[in-house]
Amino acid sequence: MTDSAPVSDIDLFDDQVLVDPYPAYAALRDLGGVVRLPANDVYALTRYEVIRGALGDWETFSSEGAIGFNPMVNQALTGTSLASDPPAHTRLRAALTANLSPRALRGLKAGIEAKADALVGKLLAQGSFEAVDALARALPLEVVADLIGFTGRARDNMLRWGQAAMQVIGPMNRRTAESFPIAGELYEWCSTVTAEDLTPGSVGRGIFEAEARGEIPPGTAGHIIHQYLGAGVDTTIASIGNLVALFAAHPDQLALVREDPSLIPAAFNEVLRYWAPLHAWGRRVTRDVEIDGVRVPAGAKVAILFGAGNRDPRHYEDPDAFLVRRNPVDHLSFGYGPHGCAGQGLARLEAHAVIGALARRVERLVAGTEVRVPANVTRSIEELPVLEVIPV
Amino acid sequence: MKIVLDRPRCEGHGLCEEAAPELMHLDDDGELVLVREEIGEADAAAARAAVRVCPVAALRLT
Repeated sequence: MTDSAPVSDIDLFDDQVLVDPYPAYAALRDLGGVVRLPANDVYALTRYEVIRGALGDWETFSSEGAIGFNPMVNQALTGTSLASDPPAHTRLRAALTANLSPRALRGLKAGIEAKADALVGKLLAQGSFEAVDALARALPLEVVADLIGFTGRARDNMLRWGQAAMQVIGPMNRRTAESFPIAGELYEWCSTVTAEDLTPGSVGRGIFEAEARGEIPPGTAGHIIHQYLGAGVDTTIASIGNLVALFAAHPDQLALVREDPSLIPAAFNEVLRYWAPLHAWGRRVTRDVEIDGVRVPAGAKVAILFGAGNRDPRHYEDPDAFLVRRNPVDHLSFGYGPHGCAGQGLARLEAHAVIGALARRVERLVAGTEVRVPANVTRSIEELPVLEVIPV
Repeated sequence: MKIVLDRPRCEGHGLCEEAAPELMHLDDDGELVLVREEIGEADAAAARAAVRVCPVAALRLT
């Protein structure tokens, strides 16, 4: 027996919801695992098992022309691994991950740890600092620029371009409209970039060499560079800003990591579970399907709410508490399955390095009020003043 | 019970190795090696945990 979906008048892209989506997530989860939202013309997936099931089932929940919430961005993403299904996806994903998989990144660990340790050490010595610009943005921008080989104009615009590439995934609201020209600059740059624009020996240069050897189709190297920058910068920045804010607010949890550094991966999993960097991500249902006892018609647009699933009390005990020891390895913030975050290995290297550097040196960070600005897809902190450092 | 690895899909994230070190590990090239594919009752919980944590769903149990 299947029923039609419960309906809510919540607008996922309302400013207040974007700044703090957790009350809306709880209300939607209480209504059902799948809830129809007329304001956004989507079915929202809200509960853990429903989301995990959808992420694992690409045949029913297609990414083709469906990950964004406006037609223009879905058109622009055509042909990327992000917005394709197997079998085309399998080949594109392999080209994307050849230089990004954990096995490809193993040689980078020591260098990233040294960068993070030097940066964190310098900031702590200052005694007070603005953690988003000086740390959450500075580290990923440096790591990704060095890895891909960005210099000059691309290096200068990475932050703007990365933010805009995420913003335009939202519905056609003011934020999306203002960001399209900036996302267009990135697109334009990626469609004209050549091997010589990238640092010799970099991964970016390697992608062009792979294209020259015929290992990836002609003309795809620029697309891959686009995805590295578009998907990998804004989200990592959000994660690092979030972890600084969460450990400032929970010095007892930082103490647990200091006493037992083997908790660093668990701590990052809990940061990602507690505050998901991505708010909503799209799919399209390819057939009439029953989800959690509710009928969803073929062709319907679905919004996956990672953060709602991560706080589902049906899956995590005491889900609104920040507890590093729970080690939620199955959190949804990297997605799951064929489209699971391709850059998660690099994100882990960066975040683990920052957590380790903080835990070793800091007893407590006294932070001022964090500033959040509504953004369509990436939920991150805009400013986080660290007012005082209490060293170990 | 048998562990099945979808090798082209495996990207070497290594989370399975942490969940079930006695059943699988990454070799020096970062390729996943299954120590044994046939799983008895004693290893069933570890095998299920390894399947559960694979971020790209490259492992399954049959």
